[in-house]
Amino acid sequence: MHNTFIIAKREYLERVRSRSFVIMTFFIPLLMFGVTVVPTMLANRGTNETKHIVVVAADRDTAEMIRSGIEQKQDEKSQNTPAKKRSLPPTHFTVEVSTDTTDSARAALTKKVKDKQLDGFLWATPDAIKARKLDFVTRDTSSFIENGLLGQSVTDALRRSALKNKGLKEDDIESALQSVDVEPQSPLGKDAPNPQMLFFATLGMVMVLYMTVLLYGINVMRSILEEKTSRIMEVMLSTASAKQMMAGKILGVGAVGLTQVVIWMGSTLVFSAGALVANAAQIRGVLSVKMLVFFAVYFLLGYILYSTLCAAVGSMVNSEQEAQQLQFLVMMPMILSIIMIMQIFQHPNSQLALWGSLFPFTAPLVMFTRIAMQPGSLWDIGWQIALSIGLMLATIYGMVWLCGRIYRVGILMYGKKPTLPEIMKWIKYA
Amino acid sequence: MQTIELSNVRKSYDQFVAVNNLSFSIPPGGVFGLLGPNGAGKTSTIRMMIGITAPDSGQINLFGKPFERKSLNKVGYLPEERGLYKKMKIIDQLIFLGELHGMRAGDARQQAMLWCKRLEIDAWLQKKVEELSKGMQQKIQFIAALLHDPDFIIMDEPFFGLDPINAALLKDVMLDLKKQGKTILFSTHRMDQVEKLCDSICLINKGNAVLQGDLKTIKAGYGKSNVQIEYEGNGDFLEKNPLVSAYNNYGNYVEVRLAPGADAQQLLQVVAARSRVNKFELMEPSLEEIFINTVGKS
Repeated sequence: MHNTFIIAKREYLERVRSRSFVIMTFFIPLLMFGVTVVPTMLANRGTNETKHIVVVAADRDTAEMIRSGIEQKQDEKSQNTPAKKRSLPPTHFTVEVSTDTTDSARAALTKKVKDKQLDGFLWATPDAIKARKLDFVTRDTSSFIENGLLGQSVTDALRRSALKNKGLKEDDIESALQSVDVEPQSPLGKDAPNPQMLFFATLGMVMVLYMTVLLYGINVMRSILEEKTSRIMEVMLSTASAKQMMAGKILGVGAVGLTQVVIWMGSTLVFSAGALVANAAQIRGVLSVKMLVFFAVYFLLGYILYSTLCAAVGSMVNSEQEAQQLQFLVMMPMILSIIMIMQIFQHPNSQLALWGSLFPFTAPLVMFTRIAMQPGSLWDIGWQIALSIGLMLATIYGMVWLCGRIYRVGILMYGKKPTLPEIMKWIKYA
Repeated sequence: MQTIELSNVRKSYDQFVAVNNLSFSIPPGGVFGLLGPNGAGKTSTIRMMIGITAPDSGQINLFGKPFERKSLNKVGYLPEERGLYKKMKIIDQLIFLGELHGMRAGDARQQAMLWCKRLEIDAWLQKKVEELSKGMQQKIQFIAALLHDPDFIIMDEPFFGLDPINAALLKDVMLDLKKQGKTILFSTHRMDQVEKLCDSICLINKGNAVLQGDLKTIKAGYGKSNVQIEYEGNGDFLEKNPLVSAYNNYGNYVEVRLAPGADAQQLLQVVAARSRVNKFELMEPSLEEIFINTVGKS
């Protein structure tokens, strides 16, 4: 036990003092900020440009109707801008109309678009309208938000004109076409957390869980590999047992991981204190002490399980390249959990959710997600939580035994990568 | 009480028998040489002595008791596969290894400084291992094995890769430890070092002990059956001579073993008749010759 502590202490101090720890501590939050927030910001900013387009229809009335539809939508948009800034890119359209639907006219317009004299044209011939499929010739075929909005405007205009032709009054048309918002309400009433915040908070915590388990699991592997290649193993084995070395390594690196998570959470608290206080009521529903406790429990269990596997892998191989091949296999269930979680957010009570949360290798992420998303009392799924923790503990026990035996032999084996039958033999050695 | 006692120890990996029914014991005090060609089972034997691996069968007693991990605090080990943490400072590294051997951090620091001074590397205490030369790293490793003042010191090829000056420094330390009554196990296939340092030896080959006992007694057992001859001219004619049973040309001199019953005086006459003799000395066979012969036969 004493040796385990000394080894863990060395591992912890050497790592926390290292430059890479400092870099990682700052870099990971920046990276997460980069991949989540920046693209959204960029997508929402739009380009603030004016697009010149032409609507081509067989008769002037239809063309004018579509034109007004597009321009009206645009006015609506600019009125609503403060409230609905999120989804609408502020692109302006100036719309011209044309009634020339000959093939040569289309060719001429196409050429104009190609030559950048025109941004696009909408081909609204009677056939196309009947088929409900209009061609919009543009160079920006990939700006799907903009093109989608254009589709909405045209649909809206066509509906209005159809209803108008049936003799409905302007007001009736307006009220008939009004869109409806469906707002989810939890049966728990006001106490229930805001679903959107719950989703993002859970996703955030799951990502932190995923990254720390992955990152520090791999760290254990690399550090064992380093010890093996630097041949210090044998000196240490002359006083510490292989079991103590493995345990010390896992504990030391795990403590570094916890330190890092605590730094991240602490700095989040400090930097966003204002926002947190302002939204205290909502946050209390999402981030309770209970959640933090479960976070710690599933982090520790997940980390120990995966780092034990990683320790075995690290002891088997002789180089980084060999390690990377095996590392992927070990981390597979973790990646699988992330894919499952996307499904589980949609269907929290599915069979997949149940089995995923009981299977020990996916349990840390899946069960944690379910606990976070569970409406009402956790006692409803109490037996599942207990079973998942129990199964994980049992698996950890088995894995520590198994990997300990591989580790013990592996660290003294230099040279070629062992085959599966060889590893089986290692496990059987006295 | 023997420092270590192996009785009928056997270790096999799969089909390969690394150590086969090996028995020997090392009395306290003195230098014991564990010899053998590459792959004879030396390292496997040492690993079992300090509990890195367990024997398949047989018994190992360390300090008079069946092996227990606690006893390792009195054992120092310099493995053949040298290694230290590359990115760690020398002093931190030595304290860490000292603590693993049951020392308090403060004592470990003090001892580390003393040893570094003695081995003339105290200027490097705050440097990282990767900044050191191979020879200096070896000294650090040597200190790591001795820091906790062990009673039983195991050294696997300790002189490998050292220049003559550092080798001499190390040899002095070893002799000093011997004077203090420590038991030193010294594993090598360099026979010249064994002859200079060891009191007793065990020669193993293919996992079996083929020769063991007090070094002087072993050599005396062969009698003065060897002749070292220095002469001018080509001496290859000696190789075919019936008086000679073994012939070794070392360049500057030759060493021959007399055939059973052959008379050295007769040989001297033969040589003197063919060339000018500068030196003709009767001696015990060198350990190297004993080694080659014994291993060749077994």
